[in-house]
Amino acid sequence: MNLNNLFGFIFVLVCFGLVIYFGVAARNRQARAWREIPAFGKLRRAVGLAVEAGTRLHISIGRGAINSPQGASGLAGTVLLERLARAASIGDRPPIATSGDGSLGILSQDTLRSAYRVMGVENQYDPNSGRVAGLTPFSFTAGTMPIIRDEQVSISVLAGNFGSEAVLMTDAAERSGSPTIGGTDNLSGQAVLYAAADETLIGEEVFAGGAYLGAGPMHEASLTMQDFVRALIVLLMIIASALNLIGIDIIK
Amino acid sequence: MRTPLSAAVAIIVGLLILAGYFFPFGPLLSLKNTLIQWAMILAGFALLVGVVNLIKVHWIKIRKRSPGSIYSLILIISLAVTIVVAGYFGPVASSSLWIFNNVQVPVETSLLALLSVLLIYVVVRLLRRRPDSISILFIATVFLVLLGTAPLFFIGEVRVLTVIRNFIVQVPAVAGARGILLGVALGAIATGIRILTGADRPYGG
Repeated sequence: MNLNNLFGFIFVLVCFGLVIYFGVAARNRQARAWREIPAFGKLRRAVGLAVEAGTRLHISIGRGAINSPQGASGLAGTVLLERLARAASIGDRPPIATSGDGSLGILSQDTLRSAYRVMGVENQYDPNSGRVAGLTPFSFTAGTMPIIRDEQVSISVLAGNFGSEAVLMTDAAERSGSPTIGGTDNLSGQAVLYAAADETLIGEEVFAGGAYLGAGPMHEASLTMQDFVRALIVLLMIIASALNLIGIDIIK
Repeated sequence: MRTPLSAAVAIIVGLLILAGYFFPFGPLLSLKNTLIQWAMILAGFALLVGVVNLIKVHWIKIRKRSPGSIYSLILIISLAVTIVVAGYFGPVASSSLWIFNNVQVPVETSLLALLSVLLIYVVVRLLRRRPDSISILFIATVFLVLLGTAPLFFIGEVRVLTVIRNFIVQVPAVAGARGILLGVALGAIATGIRILTGADRPYGG
């Protein structure tokens, strides 16, 4: 058996065990206080305002096909979509979800329907609220811009895989007077969203939406696991660097 | 297919594919490959469903005479023409390639050009929206990297700018990017684990 595969397997197994452990531990104690992420605070306020004002939320889950390495960010986007759809389901205008991939389009429709079902308002579900806006990066962007501009959107949330073309969406939002909250797993997309969006989700913050919006103990457990494993990796990197300095190369 | 059957199928298939990646031999490997092939076929169908969804949304816009419905009409006509041409002559025929090279490429290139102008505007807007030290550092870094990347008008290459640019790109940018990618990778693993345990069910469960 390949040594890399073995290490990978052990790593995933450890992460899995930690999520279960933190999940069980979370049931027996009070909810953990997470550090403040301004984007999620703004999102909570925006949902309330959208419901009161009868405007719409626009949630874009990007174009990372679920059978590609970028699929995880799209799936994280569906978690955000589900939480926001639940919160906004009592409003006059249902949220709109856009995506740039067929499988994500189906998932967004399914997520919206399931959110409406949970809230007991399945009859208000509109299959056209989960839209595939385009299938290439620019056609997806070009298809999303009119939705932001013409459909009384009060806030746009971009959570998924977006490249630098996301700046066209933030510009459309700014022109229609609505703020944008953006997060992506793409490095150039992140740099652009940092400058262009009103609030940015950096790095793993895209995946933290569930824990911050109350999606359940497993979301909190997985976020605790991320913090724990990251600290462990940083510690290992420091030890490896220190050993390297004194001439011991543990990577070899 | 509703919970718990859909959840059970998703979890079992996910675990089998994961096992096939880590133990790539024997029946696990062939099972993993078969399941991935099925997923590719399903993704193809999903693409088709996406196109149908796109047509439906724009058709409704045309029927309701919503603002900008003329663009929806252009989209549907262009889509129909492309499907007919590429379907009849094949995707690599000269007529199909003509559409690609003379319609899609110029349109996307124009958007790319627009993007570069917009990025400069966004940088200026950042100073107005968040006039803090981090924004100034961000903008200063952007300009230093830009100036050090290409030769300047009438001056040519400025050695000191190139050295600064190389330092920024090779040291702090790589360190920051690795930190962000580490976070993204851990987030992706966490998302995968939540789906494998059935805590997240984006398939309507």
